[in-house]
Amino acid sequence: MRRALALLALAALTACAPSVPGTSTGGSSQPAASTDRLTIGTTADVVNYNPLVGNSRTDSWVTSLMYPHLTQMDETGKRIPYLATEWSYAEDGKSATVKLRDDMTWSDGKPVTADDVVFSVTAVQKEKFGVVAGLITALDKAEAVSPTEVKFALSRPDGTFLDNVGFWLPIVPKHVFEKAPSVQKFANDSDWVSAGPFKLTKVERGQRYIMERVDDFGPGKPAVKEVVFRVFPDVNTEVLALRNGEIDMIGNVLPPATASELKNDPKIKLQQVPSLGWAHLQYNTKHKPLDDVRVRQALAHAVDYEAIRNIALKGFAKSSNSSVLTPSQPDYVDPSSKEYTFDPELSKQLLAQAGVSGLSLNMIYDQADPNIARWAPMVRDAAKKAGITIKLQGLERNTYLDKTQKRDFDIYAGSWAVMDNPPANLGLAFKTGGFINYAQVSDPKLDKLIDQAQRALSPAEAKAPIQEAARIIHDQVYDNVLYVETFNIAHSATWTGFKPMPSELLSILNPLSLAAAKPAG
Amino acid sequence: MRFIGLRLARGLLTLWFAVTVTFFLVRLLPGDPVLAVADPNMTEELRQKLLADFGLDRPLGVQYLDYLGQLLHGNLGMSFRQSVPVTTVLMERLPWTLILTISAMVVTIVLGIPLGVLAATRAKGWVDRVIQLTGVTAQSLFVPSVGVFLMYLLGVWLGWFPIGGAVDLDATGFGATLSMLHHLVLPCLSLVLIQLGGYVLTMRTTLIDALGEDYVSLAKAKGVRPGTVVWKHALRNALLPTTTIAGLQLGTLVGGAVLTETIYAYPGIGRAIYEAVGQLDFPVLQGAFVLLAAAVVVANLITDVAYGILDPRVRT
Repeated sequence: MRRALALLALAALTACAPSVPGTSTGGSSQPAASTDRLTIGTTADVVNYNPLVGNSRTDSWVTSLMYPHLTQMDETGKRIPYLATEWSYAEDGKSATVKLRDDMTWSDGKPVTADDVVFSVTAVQKEKFGVVAGLITALDKAEAVSPTEVKFALSRPDGTFLDNVGFWLPIVPKHVFEKAPSVQKFANDSDWVSAGPFKLTKVERGQRYIMERVDDFGPGKPAVKEVVFRVFPDVNTEVLALRNGEIDMIGNVLPPATASELKNDPKIKLQQVPSLGWAHLQYNTKHKPLDDVRVRQALAHAVDYEAIRNIALKGFAKSSNSSVLTPSQPDYVDPSSKEYTFDPELSKQLLAQAGVSGLSLNMIYDQADPNIARWAPMVRDAAKKAGITIKLQGLERNTYLDKTQKRDFDIYAGSWAVMDNPPANLGLAFKTGGFINYAQVSDPKLDKLIDQAQRALSPAEAKAPIQEAARIIHDQVYDNVLYVETFNIAHSATWTGFKPMPSELLSILNPLSLAAAKPAG
Repeated sequence: MRFIGLRLARGLLTLWFAVTVTFFLVRLLPGDPVLAVADPNMTEELRQKLLADFGLDRPLGVQYLDYLGQLLHGNLGMSFRQSVPVTTVLMERLPWTLILTISAMVVTIVLGIPLGVLAATRAKGWVDRVIQLTGVTAQSLFVPSVGVFLMYLLGVWLGWFPIGGAVDLDATGFGATLSMLHHLVLPCLSLVLIQLGGYVLTMRTTLIDALGEDYVSLAKAKGVRPGTVVWKHALRNALLPTTTIAGLQLGTLVGGAVLTETIYAYPGIGRAIYEAVGQLDFPVLQGAFVLLAAAVVVANLITDVAYGILDPRVRT
């Protein structure tokens, strides 16, 4: 009887758990990389294959390998050619011209031409969707001058137009997308016609996305035959898989604590890329007494910036001297800007001057953001020293977005991911009625300066007004910039050749970087 | 026949209830589905257009009736985020959830019954005590903790099993089957661990009861071998409550599968639900819940009918 039971149990166990010889990699072995395959971990599936619509990180990473943008960035954030070879404005600023390379082809053999660019931008303009729609309001009409030249007629001079279109607009094949009654609703979920270093050949939803090398990729044949994106539940699991040799790279940014743990692992290399955005506190200027600049300054003096950067961010962050012109924007940065000092006594004085006592405010943030979850309590504790009570409201992401959208908060703690062009972005964030003007700033002088900077056709010309605007934002505490994060992207030391670009969007997963990646040694 | 008809009617009522609760519940989720789909920087004009596209601009009652009508036609709607039919989204995921839950259920039963018998026949002995203690402990475990623990112990530390996923990229033919089973072990084991306790303890209690019945004493008195008494006579009767447990536990199993799939990046319905919550993709959420509710209802229906066949007394 006992033997029968034991046998039965054993049989059941083996039914559940057959061991597969040779497939387990063990905890420590790490095979040398080959050019056959580069496996990248990600934490989400591709949700939408239509690059004009998709807005998650994974969507961008996968589709940016399939649909070219006009420009890319170099390490410092300077725009460099990709599909476009040259770009310029007319002298009156009322039109812009872009010249395209002639050696890019769609995967069905048709060339990538000016018609595709015109189609893509016009579709967004007509149907008004995606990130790009809000950035091309100056566009009157786009037309193809020749197969390799596009002319954009603008209704007003807008020196941010080319940067915006170049960075944000994916070019889609006209002959495929025009068949859809609505470009926005086109799912584009099979038989992809693409033009990039890799083409998507197989999807196993919830598991992986397999992309094959495109041999005649214009800028040069990629070294790796196959790129695979593998889906994991979170970054921690990705780290386990990277250590186990199951993947070669983690697409997601490592939380600072994880990065400092992995720093000394010889099998893992960390690539550091600067953020194009910043982490900040925004004070709702429509809520009393936050409408008083002295109260906002008191709050700015009640934050221990150094401690946040060194403890919560483990040093993986730079000071921006309390300026919205961050070190990631070398063309615009203002060296005269000074960071607000952490000075609870000064803070108390400012509050007394404003006639405010017993100040109590709520602060909303996304509780799933590992960085903010670490520094939010530090903000609260530092404010307490100045006699200010901050009630923390860590919220589920969708609730947080909803409250932000409705401006339903006293203090908003968050971070902006990609602010690639100050004149354009400051317009969205600080001009009266701007989409992301969370602090509800309404300052005619600021509006005028930002407008002036947007009309300027070169950074040199935009610099003076935009620096003046940034000084107002600093002095009025329309935004309290805490830091600019240095992102850590981990990959196996068996790989090399990546071309890092700023932001977690491009990082080392941008098309030019993956095309250049190769096994080390 | 009337018995089956009644059960069927009750099943349909349950399903309607589940559909209704789900419909209103997802709409109570905090947040704005449009925000989750599009860039938060969109214009108000675009927001209104998207709301209209999703049919969310109409009164709730109208949306609900429309949804019921579509459902009767077998139409689960279009995913907000993916712009493809919900049925397509779910059908890609369903096979994996079936593989996981069915294998977990089979393993649980195959292990649970003998362990229950072992405990009952050695009631109050140390084997029984160990089994009882383990059973109660396992029952109170939280799936994610078990999952993470197993993954760390057997996946990372010992390196016996892969870290998530469902099948290796390079595996083909028979190798693919092996790879699938290899990936299945940890999620399956996690589900088995949290379920097994319930089965074993129920089996043990009912078998102890059955072993005290007159017919068992009679069989023993007739000189039937003890093993035959337990396995042929008592066990058959003790299996009835266990069948009920199997039906009841199906809900737990499905709930556990959602968490397990999420932890192990197993590409089933559960993970789809987890993602759809984050994206406020109402149609996918509704579709997934309707599908799971239907599965539980059908399974309970089968249990009920089976029970009716096994024990004619319940046919009322």
